Amino acid sequence: MKKVALIIAIIAGKFAACLSKMVGTGGTSIPGKIALKLYPQILKELAANISEEIFVVTGTNGKTTTTNMLAGILKEKGYTFVHNRAGANMITGITTAFIKETDWLGKRKTAYALLETDEANVPLLLKQLHPRVVLITNFFSDQLDRYGELDTTINLIKDAVRDTNIELVLNADDPLVTHFKNDTGLHCWYYGFDDTNYDRVLSEEGREGRFCVFCAHELYYQRFHYAQLGKFCCPECGNKNPERNFTAHSLMLTPKIEMKVNDIEIISPYQGFYNAYNVLAAVSLAKLVGIEDAIIQKAIANYEPDAGRMEQFEINNRKVTLILVKNPTGLNQALAAINTEPARKTIFFALNDNVADGRDISWIWDADIEQITVLHLNVEAIVCSGQRSGDIALRFKYADAPVDRIYIEDELQSGIKKALSVAADATYVLSTYTALFICRDILIKLQQESIASADLIDQIQKSTES
Amino acid sequence: MADFIIAHLYPELMNLYGDRGNIICLQKRLEWRGYNSYIEAISPGCQIEFNQYDMIFMGAGSDREQKLVVNELVHNCSDLKLEIEQGLPALFVGGAYQLLGKYYESSDGVQMPGLNLLDFYTQREQNRLIGNIVLAASLHGQPFTVAGFENHAGRTYLEDKEIKALGRVISGFGNNGEDEQEGIWYKNLIATYLHGPLLPKNPILADYFIEVMMNRKGITFASRLDDHIENFAHEQIKKKVLG
Ligand SMILES: [Zn+2]
Repeated sequence: MKKVALIIAIIAGKFAACLSKMVGTGGTSIPGKIALKLYPQILKELAANISEEIFVVTGTNGKTTTTNMLAGILKEKGYTFVHNRAGANMITGITTAFIKETDWLGKRKTAYALLETDEANVPLLLKQLHPRVVLITNFFSDQLDRYGELDTTINLIKDAVRDTNIELVLNADDPLVTHFKNDTGLHCWYYGFDDTNYDRVLSEEGREGRFCVFCAHELYYQRFHYAQLGKFCCPECGNKNPERNFTAHSLMLTPKIEMKVNDIEIISPYQGFYNAYNVLAAVSLAKLVGIEDAIIQKAIANYEPDAGRMEQFEINNRKVTLILVKNPTGLNQALAAINTEPARKTIFFALNDNVADGRDISWIWDADIEQITVLHLNVEAIVCSGQRSGDIALRFKYADAPVDRIYIEDELQSGIKKALSVAADATYVLSTYTALFICRDILIKLQQESIASADLIDQIQKSTES
Repeated sequence: MADFIIAHLYPELMNLYGDRGNIICLQKRLEWRGYNSYIEAISPGCQIEFNQYDMIFMGAGSDREQKLVVNELVHNCSDLKLEIEQGLPALFVGGAYQLLGKYYESSDGVQMPGLNLLDFYTQREQNRLIGNIVLAASLHGQPFTVAGFENHAGRTYLEDKEIKALGRVISGFGNNGEDEQEGIWYKNLIATYLHGPLLPKNPILADYFIEVMMNRKGITFASRLDDHIENFAHEQIKKKVLG
């Protein structure tokens, strides 16, 4: 009887995945949701098909990129694995990933599972399956609106891993992460950065984790690498960065990430310090799996960000497309794609002029922006953002876009939110290189929030029905 | 019949950095005031009747293209000089600026003759002068700023102290990185290293050309436009450069 129910749930899930693929919506959580409803134990059963190990990656920032890079390494090695894709990091999305990887009978074995997991879903997930490793990237306070106190989330994860034999892989530079060792007694591996040329001595912003988690005294920072990540110590109780197992040093950030992790030379086409952390986390996990240096190096070097190549998101039932633009030809192609979209749409354009973008923004005048005939093509709003928001706004104005549809929002997050708030069925997010990953992170987060609120509405409906 | 005709000199040769932004700007700002305009692209081999145009524009080009253009223009040079003296509005950018002078000397000392319209010369150096630039200028006694981007290996030196520069460099390099001068402003000719979309984010300069064009046709220039986006873009660069 039990077996039949499992098979029915798998078939329903696979069927839903096929359907949503045909309809063209993201469909990353619905198959799992249906299957879980039909057979609540499905995740537990399918997780038993993992023959080697399960890895859970959580934390506020970087879990998608870290998990994707690790997937790239396992693929290079030739291992099979279950992997939930970008943003589908709740229980439902993870269940979808397992259903996709298994056969109709739910029996196919897979070597590994790489599970990017939303922080608040970690306790729930650990009730269903037993990973070898939980990796924590960092904790930032930007999800406060959803879960209340950051502390609550951190404590829930702590409670969930306590009294297990899970190994923790922790960011040694984040004081909000490092204390997991003391409070859980688990075996911990640490990764972190040695001094880099990009460090600052003073933090520019007020940050979480300015106070010691043990004694609440203000932490003293010798250096900041990135946000609150850095070299810290507590003058009161001696709390400081733990000894690292995986140390990144000799870091170069432009034109791409180059660094050494212990003795391994790592080159990645990604950019930015926060991505250097993601590379370091992925390399550390791969070393724990026991993968050879050469394979790690090759996979990381070949792991090209697919961000911005017409990457699709779904936010509050709106199709959102992220497109990297860096020269007139690419911009013309992006505009041509927008032209073929029949639905009402909004455009967001982030124009930066850092070295990696090209400091000279003259090229936007060589692109044929005039092909966007705003009124005929149902372009409801054009939000101009980034360091050179004024120049791109002017370009649209002189291409005959009505001034009352041009908005300037320098700040990327409020700009994207503006583009999503104007009534339309699709939004195109165009960005030059150095704003791309920030835009992408914002979109991933908004997508997760939209999935979460859809789940919530579901639950409320269910509870009012019963 | 167009109200205004602007000659775009050799767009196939001289079009390095989005220079057409300047043409688009002039055309739109005329259109928003109710005038239509026609852009006549001048190709190599054409006989040019400069007195037929309300304004002329030439963009930036590489050394090779500059040489070709000098060979083209040298035959109509006296006409061009006459029209400039009589107040024909003209905008010459980058390489087009350099070829108005006496000569352009490459880094190995070879001199390429210019049109010798104005008394200045240019020497090429190895390292290029690149970056955002802000100038202090004045028009009808009113001070204003010019914001743009420069990228040039040539150092231009004005010999005739009577020639006025477009402006004084507040931040950036300018003509040669030494004397704090940028460009030239002679009668209604402006020549400058500020390439790309100079006029869109400097509406005072754009309207200066439009006002001269209209006055030369006996039309009174009155209407102001809503320039809040133009001014925002202008101030954004100033803020970036000057802090
Ligand atoms: Zn302390």
